[in-house]
Amino acid sequence: MDISVIISPESLDDFERSPETTAIGQGGAVLTFRGVVRANEEGRPIQALDYQAYLPMAEKEIRRLAEELGRQFPCLAVSVRHRIGLVPVGDTAIIVQVVTAHRAEAFGFVSAFMDRLKAEVPIWKVRAVPAR
Amino acid sequence: MKLLFFAHLRQIVGQDAVEISVLEPVTGDALWDLLAARFPALSPYKSSVRLAKNCEYATAKTHFSNDDEVALIPPVSGG
Repeated sequence: MDISVIISPESLDDFERSPETTAIGQGGAVLTFRGVVRANEEGRPIQALDYQAYLPMAEKEIRRLAEELGRQFPCLAVSVRHRIGLVPVGDTAIIVQVVTAHRAEAFGFVSAFMDRLKAEVPIWKVRAVPAR
Repeated sequence: MKLLFFAHLRQIVGQDAVEISVLEPVTGDALWDLLAARFPALSPYKSSVRLAKNCEYATAKTHFSNDDEVALIPPVSGG
């Protein structure tokens, strides 16, 4: 399984497809999930969220999760991008893209991966910037 | 050992990282005792914070020594 992980302050909103994975075209399903910053956080209007990560561990945990979940939901390729720093409302904070033989594994993987990421990967929303 | 702090723990401690040394490898509980002595305001967070050693979550059996990088991981909220 081809696993790619990038955590950086770079915008994710130009991301079109997983870069150069040889799995594209081999699988029958390519599923892309985007997590986008909502305009409200805990009921209050915001303009951005500020994300922080323990980078080396976050990357390692994401790879570990992908390998573990890949045994349950076989994937040809997994690509995870997480943006850190200030992420404005409407911008993408995370992209998870998988290439699988059939759609069921793709939906199963992405759903389980997001649940586990939100419980185990050391990334934090450290601040919500209030709307002006 | 190098201790790393994240999220609200950085404000509580007032720094991102500190160096401490131990005479011999210590358990997580013993490490928390050392932390509580130096940063009493951290104590209430013990039950919600996980320890990580060299980028892996620690278990009850993990021991921490001077060569380790130890992170205090408060509840995460990525995605």
